[in-house]
Amino acid sequence: MQLFVTVVRQSFEESDGEFVIHNGRGPTAVIAGVGASPQGKFPGSTDLSLATQAVVALLDDCGIAKDDIDGLLTMPGTTSHEPAKHYLELGEHLGINPKVAGSLQMGGATCGALVQQAALYVDAGMAEAVLCVFGDAAKTGGSRFSAAPGRDPSWKNWGMFGNAANSAMGATRHMALYGTTSEQLGWVAVNGRRNASMNPDAVMRTPITIEDHQSSRWIVEPLHLFDCCLITDGGVAVLVTSPERARDLRQPPVSLLGMGQGHTLETLAKKDWWYLPHQQDCISRAYRMAGLSPADIDVAQLYDNFTISVLFWLEHGGFCAPGESGPFVEGGTRIALDGELPLNTAGGNLSESYMQGWLHVVEGVRQMRHAAGVRQVKGAETCMVTGRGMTLNTSSCLILGKTS
Amino acid sequence: MSAEFTPIPAASELSGPFWAAGLDGVLRLQRCNSCDHIRFPLDWICARCLSSEYEWARLSGRGTVQTFIRFHHAYDPSWEDRVPYVVALIELEEGPVMISNVVGEGALDVRVDDPVEVVYELKNADATLPQFRRTQVR
Repeated sequence: MQLFVTVVRQSFEESDGEFVIHNGRGPTAVIAGVGASPQGKFPGSTDLSLATQAVVALLDDCGIAKDDIDGLLTMPGTTSHEPAKHYLELGEHLGINPKVAGSLQMGGATCGALVQQAALYVDAGMAEAVLCVFGDAAKTGGSRFSAAPGRDPSWKNWGMFGNAANSAMGATRHMALYGTTSEQLGWVAVNGRRNASMNPDAVMRTPITIEDHQSSRWIVEPLHLFDCCLITDGGVAVLVTSPERARDLRQPPVSLLGMGQGHTLETLAKKDWWYLPHQQDCISRAYRMAGLSPADIDVAQLYDNFTISVLFWLEHGGFCAPGESGPFVEGGTRIALDGELPLNTAGGNLSESYMQGWLHVVEGVRQMRHAAGVRQVKGAETCMVTGRGMTLNTSSCLILGKTS
Repeated sequence: MSAEFTPIPAASELSGPFWAAGLDGVLRLQRCNSCDHIRFPLDWICARCLSSEYEWARLSGRGTVQTFIRFHHAYDPSWEDRVPYVVALIELEEGPVMISNVVGEGALDVRVDDPVEVVYELKNADATLPQFRRTQVR
């Protein structure tokens, strides 16, 4: 740990006009356990009951004793009644008294950000087994994702409603500039469903076609229903710990090769906001930490609140040139399990469950354990996991690695 | 004939002049007294230089459509008689990007980069809604 800190301090260097960590390695901390509750609609469930189910599943997954958990980082759900105090309530339900704790809400970027925070705690020696947890009863709780976005409700004056609207804005301009088509977006949905059909835990498992995608209703043009994520109840937990502690647990640890974040808090005032330029910065930072490039990524779980989001990630991650993500996904072969970049191998937000990116991390871990069953990408040793949230404005990236 | 318009949230000390600007047909946004940055959304502080001194600058009301979306479904009952309608990001001639609508002739056939100009059709005694219409309907 001390060695890592020293290396990081010595390796700050100026690159592309900003100071970055460029050490060719991430933290020593690893992901040693994952757990998820059943996903779907569960009347009577709450964000906290689902989160505790996920923790119980995680304990079973990796065999750590509850009393050995000394960190609790949580993300409140859309149905959490007092989000800022979420960790307090969850900690009471779990009966733990951790050394470090807190709650963070960055939407779909939160899981990645909390795993990063946990890894820094572990590397700094402030805690040794940090639990990251999310739960939400969005389906039974009737969470509405059609509220007017923006800083205040003022965007409602122009009839701007719903989480889909912001992403739809980006889709329209991408289509106009590059000739991207709705059918190309459809291939992201078809791919997600194809993978979900092989995932017994997925909520939507019946394969769909491009025709199904095209004939599904408009949510907001140019996005159809099948361009949009599900709304589900569920909980997810991830355990970050030291390699030493991981050795005593059941599962092979998964390395954190690279970590990055990027945020556009200016929103509309940021040049080319529609294109989410912070995502490119976010992934670049993770590449630099890992000392890796796009060609080194074997499988990716790219945040898919909407299909267009995946196209942006592909360009921001350097998997194709700007404007070429439509042709990249078209036909679905490059992004299939046996393609050059297998994508969202468990079905993603679109078909597995809308756990706001938390299950993307779980699937990344399973792929790096080589425990994804029929969905396993053969020989995969690296997995990129991205997340994005809060209108369009937050992003996080993890590059996971298989340990030998 | 003008339809009724009442801003949400209710006009405040900060937003009142913005909503009232269109009563004389002129789009106005805040211009920082310190660095001349013209901003949107409305704010009590300049996000560029952090000065809180500003004036309401008269803008040309012209811009281009950076991007847009079409709503076919009303996600709020108050919009039921207005679907389908267009919400757009308008890149104003002076720089800021505004959220608004494209209305009027050919609105539903709007395209990215179309030139537009501000129009005020919805109003009440002390507020108007700035929307935009295409200036070259192809």
